[in-house]
Amino acid sequence: MTVEIPVEKWPGQVREITLGATADEGGTRSHTVTVGGETTLPFLHFEGEIPHPPVVGIEIASRRPDDWSPLLLETWSDVVDDPAAWAKAAEEAGADILLLTLSLEDSVDDATSAVRQVLEACDLPLIVFGPGQADKDNELIVPVAEEGAGERLVLGVCEEKNYRTIVAAALAHDHLVNSRTPMDVNLAKQLIILIHDMGLPLEQILMDPTTGALGYGIEYGYSVMERLRLAALQGDSMTQQPMLVTPGEEAWKAKEAKVGDDVPAEWGDWGERAINWETLTATSLIQSGADLVVLRHPETVQRVQKTIDALMAEAGEPELVAA
Amino acid sequence: MLVQEADQILQRALQENGPDTEVAFPNTAYYLPLVFGMTGREVQTLGDLVPVIEDAKRLLRPVPADRRWTPYLGETLDSGIATLLAEETIEAVRFIYGLEPQRVPGLELAGGTAFTSPDANGDGQAAGNGHLNGPIDDIQLRSWGIQLVDGRMPGFAAIVGAAKSNEVAVKIVRELQQRNILTFLAGNVNGRSIIHQLQEEGVEMGYDTYIVPFGLDTISAIYALGFAVRSALTFGGMKGGQAREILHYNKERVFAFVLALGEVDDLKYATAAGAINFGFPVVADTRIPQILPTGVTTYEHVISMPFNEIAAEDDLGRAEKLVQKCIEVRGVKVRVTEVPVPVAYGSAFEGERVRRADMRVEFGGKYSRAFEFLRMVDMDEAEDGKVEVIGPGFDEIEDGGAMDVGIVIEVAGREMQQDFEPVLERQVHYFVNAASGLQHIGQRDIAWIRISKAAAEKGFDLEHFGKILHARFHADFGAIVDKVQVKIYTDPAELEKWLETARDAYDFRNQRLADLTDERVDEFYSCTLCQSFAPNHVCVVSPQRLGLCGAYNWLDCKASYRINPTGPNQPIRKGNLIDAEKGYWEGPNEFVYQHSNQAIEEVTMYSIMENPMTACGCFECIAMVIPEGNGIMVVSREDPSMTPAGMTFSTLAGMAGGGLQSPGIMGHGKFYLLSPKFISADGGFKRVVWMSSFLKESMADELQEVAEREGDPDLIDKIADERDATTVEELLPVLEENEHPALTMPPIF
Repeated sequence: MTVEIPVEKWPGQVREITLGATADEGGTRSHTVTVGGETTLPFLHFEGEIPHPPVVGIEIASRRPDDWSPLLLETWSDVVDDPAAWAKAAEEAGADILLLTLSLEDSVDDATSAVRQVLEACDLPLIVFGPGQADKDNELIVPVAEEGAGERLVLGVCEEKNYRTIVAAALAHDHLVNSRTPMDVNLAKQLIILIHDMGLPLEQILMDPTTGALGYGIEYGYSVMERLRLAALQGDSMTQQPMLVTPGEEAWKAKEAKVGDDVPAEWGDWGERAINWETLTATSLIQSGADLVVLRHPETVQRVQKTIDALMAEAGEPELVAA
Repeated sequence: MLVQEADQILQRALQENGPDTEVAFPNTAYYLPLVFGMTGREVQTLGDLVPVIEDAKRLLRPVPADRRWTPYLGETLDSGIATLLAEETIEAVRFIYGLEPQRVPGLELAGGTAFTSPDANGDGQAAGNGHLNGPIDDIQLRSWGIQLVDGRMPGFAAIVGAAKSNEVAVKIVRELQQRNILTFLAGNVNGRSIIHQLQEEGVEMGYDTYIVPFGLDTISAIYALGFAVRSALTFGGMKGGQAREILHYNKERVFAFVLALGEVDDLKYATAAGAINFGFPVVADTRIPQILPTGVTTYEHVISMPFNEIAAEDDLGRAEKLVQKCIEVRGVKVRVTEVPVPVAYGSAFEGERVRRADMRVEFGGKYSRAFEFLRMVDMDEAEDGKVEVIGPGFDEIEDGGAMDVGIVIEVAGREMQQDFEPVLERQVHYFVNAASGLQHIGQRDIAWIRISKAAAEKGFDLEHFGKILHARFHADFGAIVDKVQVKIYTDPAELEKWLETARDAYDFRNQRLADLTDERVDEFYSCTLCQSFAPNHVCVVSPQRLGLCGAYNWLDCKASYRINPTGPNQPIRKGNLIDAEKGYWEGPNEFVYQHSNQAIEEVTMYSIMENPMTACGCFECIAMVIPEGNGIMVVSREDPSMTPAGMTFSTLAGMAGGGLQSPGIMGHGKFYLLSPKFISADGGFKRVVWMSSFLKESMADELQEVAEREGDPDLIDKIADERDATTVEELLPVLEENEHPALTMPPIF
């Protein structure tokens, strides 16, 4: 017996957005990366188009991070002291794009030189986030935007309390921005409207609804993302931005990933557990509609890529066989 | 006229240098920006300028008749653009001859465009010396542009001419600097320019001080408009030739104005006409023809404010008022970031109590009177930031004593409406409470304020009420408020007079609210503030049905929408009426369907039985049908007791909330009980058979009025509460004994 699969005809489509610019387009990247374009929920290939697979990014930092797990620092080893070497290593580890996080300790020169070095060391499109403190973000991101003119960087983080300067910098130098709101459908939509209102085209805005790690509120993040995607497919234009989330950062904050000592023996091997934590966080979010996940561990990248490959392999007409 | 002159200059330059001679403004992109923006022509050589002059000639129109029955601006505006094209042409040619940037001996720019040509830099001197700035270079454009776009810099002022005196010139520029407004200088009056005036007074000019001297003649004002065009091209994503879009961008987003100082000759007036195209209004300090109606600019086009006639003590005061007028006409918003009081300030202090023992002085309460009254006044009647204490301070009052006080807040704003007065007035409570060591209770003429000893010791005084209110109204309500001034009355006679005025206003507002019915408005408002936790819930707020949390009535929503047009309170057009009795309209139905993730298809405004409004979970009360009583019960959040429904408030809340539509149960605001539209489709207030005693007591007077309105003055006593009945079995005999009207009403379902 075959079961007829119900097919929904969605009126909306996720916006296609391209990151990075090649030499022809005024940048120096060897290729660009395009995300979005879906006309159906994640991986329902029988229902609509999924023109671009979800993209995996690796987070690197402008200087040795002091709050990262020793497991990560060990894995990446010496390169964490050198953004250029780290960028190269991340590219080799299979990243589609890079996210460079600047530090509170960076001066303007530190920040622009880190961006310059990373751009020179690798061919991938680049996302640059400030350290996450409004004043410092603005101080660093504006010169970074100038330094990276032509590259179509993604600049972040735009938040409700602090987005105008970053958006203005993106306008001045033709970059994209990352619009981040704390796990709320309406806030996500509102910030997109506000950023777009300043004159930045929707083709230059990624939506970052934020998330929690596995066991730390991932359900909440998952369901907000799912609802955003449903709204997008239902035709709500201001929710049709591709979604970027940072499961790497979230998962590595979780105790299960961070702590190796004094935990129950049944938790098993620390390294394996931490990678599982990051992998499961990322793959769950991909299932809820993430177009771009940023990770921290190279092994996770491999595993997540594998999952994506499997999910993207079109199964053709599904056939259900009655037991 | 100027177009002819430009033509001649161009012809001579063509003869002397040939059409292939390059023309460009140094260190800038976008060719000649104004020409490029308005016509799309990419001028690179002298020859390219010929068609530009042709464009300008075509735009020139005969001078319109002096008196027309309606002011017709079209021709003036076109001639303005023609003038600008000619001006830019002339400047471009002057660069070829090394006449730009203009020399001013002894002038040192504090940061300026570097000119690579040694000639331009004045005999090999370092960049920035001995000459004016000329066009703003691209690096600076981007840097300032970012600040203009992100709002740190509110706008720019193009000053043309010379001020009455050096003193006035300095004052004007300082006033602008203080507000972070970028200042461009150009032009002269009989050879004397504001640039000379500032130079003589030792005012530093240059990029670093946000004061840019363009040139000594009117023509160089073109650089200001070139800057505006380049902003639109850079930040607005416009392309050359998109004249309309570029002008519109400037009107909407670049808060600039022209301040003409001294005599306005024809060329200045023509240039001003050019500026008006950008939505930049012109304010002159001499007598010139005004163009008052709005249209191309947001507010007035040309304002004449003869300097010597400005009402102020001295010239400095006049300068200050002149600048204020400019800001007002362009609608530049003032930002106040800090609340200037000698005590800590923040919402963390809102709930703080000042006990009698710690109290320095109190206003209102048992021993004195206090009132607060906010009213709207005309723009001319308010002086922003002015705080006056009229009468004695509290120094003479003994510790722990009381005194009378009246706080009168006068606000003015282009977007202000009288309907917003009570909305803003209610904020006084939150604003005052946020100061550490202050306690505020009540509102209107039952306000009660205490100042603690600690706050008084730190120097908190009466005037600080005004400072707080000024800062906070700007910060939180800047979208509707442009000016705030505060008067604090302690003088008994004045206080008495103002209290009377205030009470008249309170009465007027009460009446207005009573008259404000759902039928009389075209729009309701949505509230989706709670969708973060109740994703499918949409509140529809109408004049006669406030939000279920009690925090948002229709006027609040209306103001909130003005303040935050992309926020959670959006207007809902009522659209076609479907059913007046139950309260169905097409507009709310569609809105709720769309914004509830298509979960709720229809909603009634006045029924609990049919498609009742959903609830998030913030309701003040829950109404639920009691079939046996042929009516409903209303339980309030404050009431922990068991109800005849067999559930307490908290259990019921689980059923009423979460955005689910369940006929027979509904969350609502307390004041909805008083509305004539309270479940009017189901029989109205007379259906209430049980009600928490808390509600009966806390709203006794209001409920009594409702009972009388319903034609049954004893109705409230007929309604049972948790003291007589916590089960249906107990309830019915009480209703029968009380002869509750619900028992004889038609069946509720």
